Amino acid sequence: MTHVRQIVEKPWIWSFVGMFLVWLATVLYTGGTGATQVITAALSFATFTVIVGIGQMFVITTGPGNVDLSIPSTIALSGVLAMKIMGGSDAMLAVGLGASLASGFAVGVFNYMLIRLLRIPPIIATLSSSFLILSTAIAYGRGLKIKPPRMLADFTSAQVAGVPILAVVIILFAVGMSILLNRTLYGRSVLAIGQNMRAARLAGIRVERIRFATYTLSAVLAAITGFLLAGFSGGASLNMGQEYLLASIAVVVIGGTSVAGGKSNVPGIWGAAMFMFLLVTMLNTFGASAGIRLILTGIIIVTVITIAGGDKPAR
Amino acid sequence: MLNKKLMGASALALALTAGAAIADTSDKRIALSNNYAGNSWRQAMLQSWEKVTSAAVAEGVVAEAPAFTTAENQVTEQAAQIQNLILQGYDAIVINSASPDALNGAVKQACDAGIVVVSFDGIVTEPCAYRIAVDFKEMGRLQVQYLAERLPDGGNLLEIRGLAGVFVDNEISAGINEEVDNHAQFQIAGSVHGDWAQDVAQKAVAGILPSLPEIVGVVTQGGDGYGAAQAFAAAGRPTPLIVMGNRYDELLWWKEQKDANGYETLSLSIAPGVSTLAFWVAQMVLDGQDVPQDLTVPFLQITQDTLEESLANTQPGGVANVEYSREDTMDVVAEN
Repeated sequence: MTHVRQIVEKPWIWSFVGMFLVWLATVLYTGGTGATQVITAALSFATFTVIVGIGQMFVITTGPGNVDLSIPSTIALSGVLAMKIMGGSDAMLAVGLGASLASGFAVGVFNYMLIRLLRIPPIIATLSSSFLILSTAIAYGRGLKIKPPRMLADFTSAQVAGVPILAVVIILFAVGMSILLNRTLYGRSVLAIGQNMRAARLAGIRVERIRFATYTLSAVLAAITGFLLAGFSGGASLNMGQEYLLASIAVVVIGGTSVAGGKSNVPGIWGAAMFMFLLVTMLNTFGASAGIRLILTGIIIVTVITIAGGDKPAR
Repeated sequence: MLNKKLMGASALALALTAGAAIADTSDKRIALSNNYAGNSWRQAMLQSWEKVTSAAVAEGVVAEAPAFTTAENQVTEQAAQIQNLILQGYDAIVINSASPDALNGAVKQACDAGIVVVSFDGIVTEPCAYRIAVDFKEMGRLQVQYLAERLPDGGNLLEIRGLAGVFVDNEISAGINEEVDNHAQFQIAGSVHGDWAQDVAQKAVAGILPSLPEIVGVVTQGGDGYGAAQAFAAAGRPTPLIVMGNRYDELLWWKEQKDANGYETLSLSIAPGVSTLAFWVAQMVLDGQDVPQDLTVPFLQITQDTLEESLANTQPGGVANVEYSREDTMDVVAEN
């Protein structure tokens, strides 16, 4: 009994419950066809949302007002940069990845400088930097789409018995990130800052250093997403990151992380990312019109957040 | 001596009258107000504008023709932008609008200030503006008619739509559905929104595909064909007949399939160079020529026979394009 209660009290469980219900509804509607294939598809696409979601989660955890809105343009810049440098050649794979990571790091440093040195609120800082980043991507790539190297395309779309390899890698990565959040000095500091920045500072935590690391981590993860996504979908385009702006925030919140900061978890991000993909799939399968689909998506997300975030008030 | 002078004078006069049609607008300034630049089609559109207008400025046809793009793709932002352009005293404003009706107020102000307004692609409904529209419904109909020709036995179709809530998406989809109703052998088995983007289309198709019966044809809106092809391949399903758009990756994929197994399809799209058509229409109106208020642009159609040529003329990673010269524009105007 206590086990059951322990599980139900986990904030991330609700995203998995939602995911299962939505999947069940889809499968019942189709009479069982495609029950496993749809999971395969969900795994492959949720992977990308999970990577950016984890970065966004660390940022949101550092407290109210912290959010990274430059994720979409960082994805585009990293993808465009890497694809153009590699020019479709397998031999340049490492160079391309390096360039992608470097672009992410640069964006993170830049974002943090705006926030720290110019004292611009994070929402404004990352939003305005996103214009600069996207403009850089436009100037550099001119909107042209360059094919990814064969090896990258194969790696990102490889499957073994219906399980995407990339998804497995990212599940392992998520486990690592969960340990980083809960068991390391860095992760505990992030949580402490999110609970009370002043208290954290007084307790001797190097608050600004941690925030710097967090914004950089988010940007680097966005850059990795751009690199992998460009490989997966046959090239980088300027608008490839667009849908990850809201998605990155939504999966964090649906996954049971507190928007107010200081309380987060990694598994919920996987559940939420799968849930979001399956939700759209379910509504597509039902043949719901776009209007109905948007309304239902909104209602269902609010419902899940209400249940998942149904926190007892602090004692 | 006198003869020579006379000849010189008449030559000068001749040159003046011949040049008059063009020289009239040499001090005119035309601005482009554009609401979005974040995809390859819009980039190509801006590049075409830049290329054609800079040549026109160099030749002295117009004084200047800068392009302005709003950052946020917001109606309010574009309305403010148009008001700025009015204050800056441009003679004509060419608009790719964020909304068919929300800019009408700003457009009316421009007209009242004696400014020629030409809208294209994203058109405005304000009556005083010129509209270079695309018959999007027809674009939908043509696809189904082509499928009916190629697949006389019919079957299930998958429809990939554009961005939900946008006029263009509604029109193309209406055309498709109208024509499907006329062909009893076709049913639309599923419909997803691909937002005219390859990766979004791939994601949406991959999601719905497992629940669908066999699909014989995919009707699209451009920019989404390659994503659909990838989703079918990833699901291990046979590749249906996918109507393509004009993106390089779509054409390249088609070419690869054609070489490998004789795959045959059709590409229907709007050339981004339609911005240059709008430029010339604005110039012609400023020149005092008679141009109908509503013009329709022809589609850019690529068939099995013209595929290689189109592909060769398209920059890798870019968009198949057609730019309009002043003469082409006069032809289009004459045809309407």
